[in-house]
Amino acid sequence: MKRRVFKSMGTEIELITLAQDADAQLSDAEAEFHRLEGLLTRFDPASELSRLNANAALEAGPELREIVRLALEGRSNTGGRFDPTVHDAVAAAGYDRTFAELPDDGPAPSGGSPCGGGVRLSGRRIELDEGVRLDLGGIGKGYAAEHAATILSAAGPCLVNAGGDIALRGTWTIGVDEGLTLELTGGGLATSGRDRRTWRRGGKELHHLIDPATGEPAACDLLRASVVARDAIQAEIWAKALFLAGSHAAAAEADANRLPCVLVTRKGETRLAGGLA
Amino acid sequence: MMTSPVGRMYATALTLFTFFVAWALVAAKPWPANGPASADPRLLALQAREIKVRRESIQTRRLVQQRWDIYRARLAKRNQRIAAAAAAPPPVRIVTAPATTVTRTS
Repeated sequence: MKRRVFKSMGTEIELITLAQDADAQLSDAEAEFHRLEGLLTRFDPASELSRLNANAALEAGPELREIVRLALEGRSNTGGRFDPTVHDAVAAAGYDRTFAELPDDGPAPSGGSPCGGGVRLSGRRIELDEGVRLDLGGIGKGYAAEHAATILSAAGPCLVNAGGDIALRGTWTIGVDEGLTLELTGGGLATSGRDRRTWRRGGKELHHLIDPATGEPAACDLLRASVVARDAIQAEIWAKALFLAGSHAAAAEADANRLPCVLVTRKGETRLAGGLA
Repeated sequence: MMTSPVGRMYATALTLFTFFVAWALVAAKPWPANGPASADPRLLALQAREIKVRRESIQTRRLVQQRWDIYRARLAKRNQRIAAAAAAPPPVRIVTAPATTVTRTS
């Protein structure tokens, strides 16, 4: 088994393969992460995403078009709980620079920013309604993990872990919660929660999971939600959507949609749903 | 008494002129033709057939629309089943084996 760890997309990326001779694929997969980060980051004004946000319209490349399409599909499938138009809301909450650059505390945010604005895809062109800006942080790591896993799988069974958003090729065991390990064959697994990527503003702890209904960091009874889905992209989308739903609604929705998930409440209770038992 | 031959000739010519004018008026049939006797039975049959065909066309269109609606509803359900199968998560189970890696809030 070979393992490579590096930093990209503001988190630690882990590539694991069972193939012994996979140096070329490991390097290609790592390069793919850096390439996609260059396209999709909102913190670099030269990135394709930043140019779209600045101009409200762009003749975009295939990756940006595909990820925006997937994000809009996710918005539709989750009833708007997953939403790529949270850029201004997450920035207004204080997450307006890379997480490493965030100050320990600062003035309290003045209030939520509206989400759910119009995004149109037509051929190569992406157009945003006035005042709408996209943040693809809720889907980008899963997307990049899937791309990297496809590259790495040419050498053999592999696993790509992008800071908790995991794409799998082959059968692997993944630790989800303390003492709970899942065995998955293919697909993806992702976790969203308020136990990491938190900061303080006005003395109050805030987090990065914006509720598009309020435009503010979500206030729900869950600490985190881990979801198994057909790929890391869908897992990432549904982890956020179930987190925002709250424990009871999330368990019911996971059961109805047969989405295996592990829900951990802020009181520390763990609940399995979606056929996981 | 009209004894003058010229006068008699004028009277005869006027009588003939009046006669031909009256003939022309009657021949032109200026009054409207009416009554069941004047209707062509073939035309009536054609009109009845047209009404029948129009009614059948409306019924057929309604039937086709109903069948199309049923087909579309079934197709939508079938597509949903296909999409659900494609979206199905991978096989997953809880194990006690050591974990290769861990997932956490990203």
